[in-house]
Amino acid sequence: MIEVDSLAAIRSGNRILDAVTLTVAEGTVTTLVGPSGGGKSTLLRCLNGLETFAEGRVTIAGHTLVAGEHPPRALERVRRDVGMVFQGFNLFPHLSAIDNVTLAPRIVRGVPAPEARSRGLDLLERVGLARFAEARPATLSGGQQQRVAIARSLAMEPRVMLFDEPTSALDPQMSAEVLDVIVELARGGQTMVVVTHDHGFARRAATQVVELVAGRVHRAGPAAEILAGAGG
Amino acid sequence: MTPARQRGRRCRPWWLLAAVWLLAAVPVDGLAAELDEVLARGELVWAADQEGGGPHVYVDPEHPTRLIGFEVELAAMLAAELGVKARFQQGQWDRLPLLLGRAADCVINGFESTPERARDWRCSRPYFAYALQLVARRDSPLDSLEALAKEGPRGPWRVGVLTGSAAEIEIRRRSDLAVEVIGYDGTVDCLEQVRGRVLDAVLMDDCIATFNADRFGELRGVGRPFAGGTYTILTAPDTPRLSAAIDDALGRLITDGRLKALYDRWDLAGRQQMLLLRDAAEVPPARRGSLADLIRGALPLLLRSAGMTILLSVASFPLAILIGLSVAVGRLHGPAWLRPFLAGYVEILRGTPLMLQLYALFFLLPKAGLALPAIVAAILGLAMNYSAYESEIYRAGLKAVPAGQFEAALALGMTKWQSLRHVLVPQAVRIVMPPVTSDFIALFKDTSVCSAITVIELTKRYSVLALSTGRIAELAIVTALLYLAMSWPLSLLSRWFERRLERRSERAPG
Ligand SMILES: Nc1ncnc2c1ncn2[C@@H]1O[C@H](COP(=O)(O)OP(=O)(O)OP(=O)(O)O)[C@@H](O)[C@H]1O
Ligand SMILES: [Mg+2]
Repeated sequence: MIEVDSLAAIRSGNRILDAVTLTVAEGTVTTLVGPSGGGKSTLLRCLNGLETFAEGRVTIAGHTLVAGEHPPRALERVRRDVGMVFQGFNLFPHLSAIDNVTLAPRIVRGVPAPEARSRGLDLLERVGLARFAEARPATLSGGQQQRVAIARSLAMEPRVMLFDEPTSALDPQMSAEVLDVIVELARGGQTMVVVTHDHGFARRAATQVVELVAGRVHRAGPAAEILAGAGG
Repeated sequence: MTPARQRGRRCRPWWLLAAVWLLAAVPVDGLAAELDEVLARGELVWAADQEGGGPHVYVDPEHPTRLIGFEVELAAMLAAELGVKARFQQGQWDRLPLLLGRAADCVINGFESTPERARDWRCSRPYFAYALQLVARRDSPLDSLEALAKEGPRGPWRVGVLTGSAAEIEIRRRSDLAVEVIGYDGTVDCLEQVRGRVLDAVLMDDCIATFNADRFGELRGVGRPFAGGTYTILTAPDTPRLSAAIDDALGRLITDGRLKALYDRWDLAGRQQMLLLRDAAEVPPARRGSLADLIRGALPLLLRSAGMTILLSVASFPLAILIGLSVAVGRLHGPAWLRPFLAGYVEILRGTPLMLQLYALFFLLPKAGLALPAIVAAILGLAMNYSAYESEIYRAGLKAVPAGQFEAALALGMTKWQSLRHVLVPQAVRIVMPPVTSDFIALFKDTSVCSAITVIELTKRYSVLALSTGRIAELAIVTALLYLAMSWPLSLLSRWFERRLERRSERAPG
C-alpha cells in the first residue's frame, strides 16, 4: 500500500531525512517512533505531499510521488485517498461537528448533502459522538475534537490513514478514548501509519514499528522485537 | 466598559459634528471687521474662488503663481481707494459668504444680486452686468432656447450649472422646461462635461462663456443671452460703514471712467457695462420665512438626500468588500505575476485622496470615451477607495487563520480555492468583522465627498438649503439629527451582528 524508497529531505541545508526506505502492507498498522527531531512528522507529511522531498520516491495508494514539486492536481488525487489526523486536531472552528465531517465529501467528491449527512452521522456514531453533531469544536473537549477529526478524515474513505501524534495534546483519560477509536479502526483492517511516543499503543496495535533517528531508519520490525525492553 | 459608556463613546463624533456646525452657524456679530479695523490693518481681505474662475479670478497660465482677472484688478483698485492693500482669500464659490467676518472682509466673485443675498448679507451697488448664456456642443440637437421645452433624444436635457449661481436659480425656477439640472462646483467642470457628452448643455454667465470660447471650440452658444442681472460685492451684515465705503469707492471708479477702462481692457464692452449699471434696478431683500415653513419646505428635501446617502453607502460597501476580499486573496494566494499589480492597486488607492479618485472617474473617464453617470461614478469611487482598506483588513484576517487550517483542508483533498472558499475566508471574515463594520460607518460619512461630483447627498443638501434660506443653525440641527438617526441604528445593527457571531461560536452542544 505504501512504498518509500531512498527518500531524502533537505531543510535549511540539513538532510533531515536520509535514505529512508520502508514498506507498509495493506491492512497493517505501522508506528513511527524515535527521539524528538528525528524526522517522523516530516516523513509523514511527505507521504501526502504536504511537504516535498529532494530524493527518492513514494508510492502510496496507487499514486507515485517523485522528488521535487508536484502539480496541484496530482497532490489532490493523492490526498483524496490518504487521510491525515494532526496533533492539534485542526478542526474547522466555524463549522459544527457534522459540517466538519461532511464538508470534504460534499465539495471534493460531490456527495449530495443528505447522503453526506447520514454517512457523517454514522461516522460520528462510530467515534461515539453522535449527540454532538451540531456542536461547535470550541465547545468540545480535546479528546472529542480529535475523534471528530478522525471521523472527518474517514468521511473521505481514505485507503491510508496517517496520524501525527494524535494523543500528545491530550490527558491520559482523553488519550484512551482516542486510542480506542484508532485500535478499533486497525481491527477493521484500515491501513495506517501512526507517529507516537506511546509504546503501549504500539504494542497493542502495531504490525510494524519503525524507529527514526536523526533522519534515518534506525531499526524496523515487529513491535515485540523493536520495543522489547523499552518502557511504556 | 459598561454598555452605556460604550454607546456614549460611539456617538460622540456625531455630536462633535453637530457642534462644529453650530459653531459655524453662530451669528458673526463682534467678529466682523468694520471699516476702521480694515484701515488699521492696512489690508482689505477679499474672498473668491480661483478654480476655473476666468475672466473673474484665475491663475495666469503663463505665471502659475499669479492670480489675474478683472476682479483681481477691481479688488486692488477698491483697496487703493480705501488707502489699504488688497489680500486674496481662497474659498469654495458657493460657500464664500460664510468666510465673511472670519477670514474675509468682502466677497468679490461674480455674486449675482438676489433677494436672498440682500436679506442675509450686505450688498454693494452693482459693479458688473451679466446675462445667462446656454452653451452646447456644435453637433447637439439642442439648437435653440425654445428646444429646451421639449425633451431631447435621451430624455430631459441634462443641463449643468454652478451650484448656488443665478443660472441655477433661474433654470430651477422654470418648471416649463424639460431639463434635469445638475449642480457643479465650477463652471469649467460643466464645459468639460458638455464636451465629454455627460451633459447636454451648461447655463452660465455670458462673460464666462465668451472667455472660454476658444478653449472649448467644439461648443457654441445656443440662442442669445437672457435673464440678465448684476454682480454685487458682499460684506458681513453688521458692517454698514465698510459697505458704504465700498459703494463710495465704486462710485468714484465709475464716474472717473476707471471701471469702464478696466472692462475695456478685459474686452468686456466697457461702455455697454456702464449703461447697464446706470439703469440697473435695485433688488429688494427677500423676507425670512417662519421656522415652521422652513422645516416643512426643507425636511422632504433633506429626507430625500438622506436616502441618497444611504443608497451610496449600501451600494458601495458590499462592492468594496467583494473587491477587497478578492484583492487580499489574490495577494496571498494568487499567481506571483499578479501580486505586484494588486499591491500597486492598494497603494495607489490608499495613497491618494478619495476626492481626487472621484474626480478622475467623473471628469477624466469621459475624455477616454466612458461617460459614467455621477451616481455610478460615486458608488464606484467609494467602492474602489474602500476596497483598498478592506483588502488590507482581509489580508491581516487571512493571515490570522492558523496555518493548520489550510493544511487540514488540503489534506482532505480540497483544492487551494476550495480551501479558501470554505475554510480560510469564512474564518477571516469573522475575525475582521469589528474593523469592517466600523469602516462601514466611516464610509457612510465619507459619502459627503460625492457632492464634489454633483451628487446631492445630505451634507450638500444642507449646505445648499442653509445658504439659500439663511437658516444655517436650525438646518444644521435637523441635518445632524438625520445623520444620527441613520448612524445609530447602523452601529446597533453591527453590534447585534457581532454578538450573534460570538454566540454562534460559543453555542453549547445541542
Ligand atoms: N522547514 C524546515 N526548516 C528547517 N528545519 C526543519 C524544517 N522542518 C523540519 N526541520 C527540522 O527537521 C528535524 C525533523 O523535524 P520533524 O518535525 O520531522 O521531527 P519529529 O520527529 O516529528 O519530532 P517531534 O517528535 O518533536 O515531533 C527537526 O530538527 C526540525 O527542526
Ligand atoms: Mg513531529
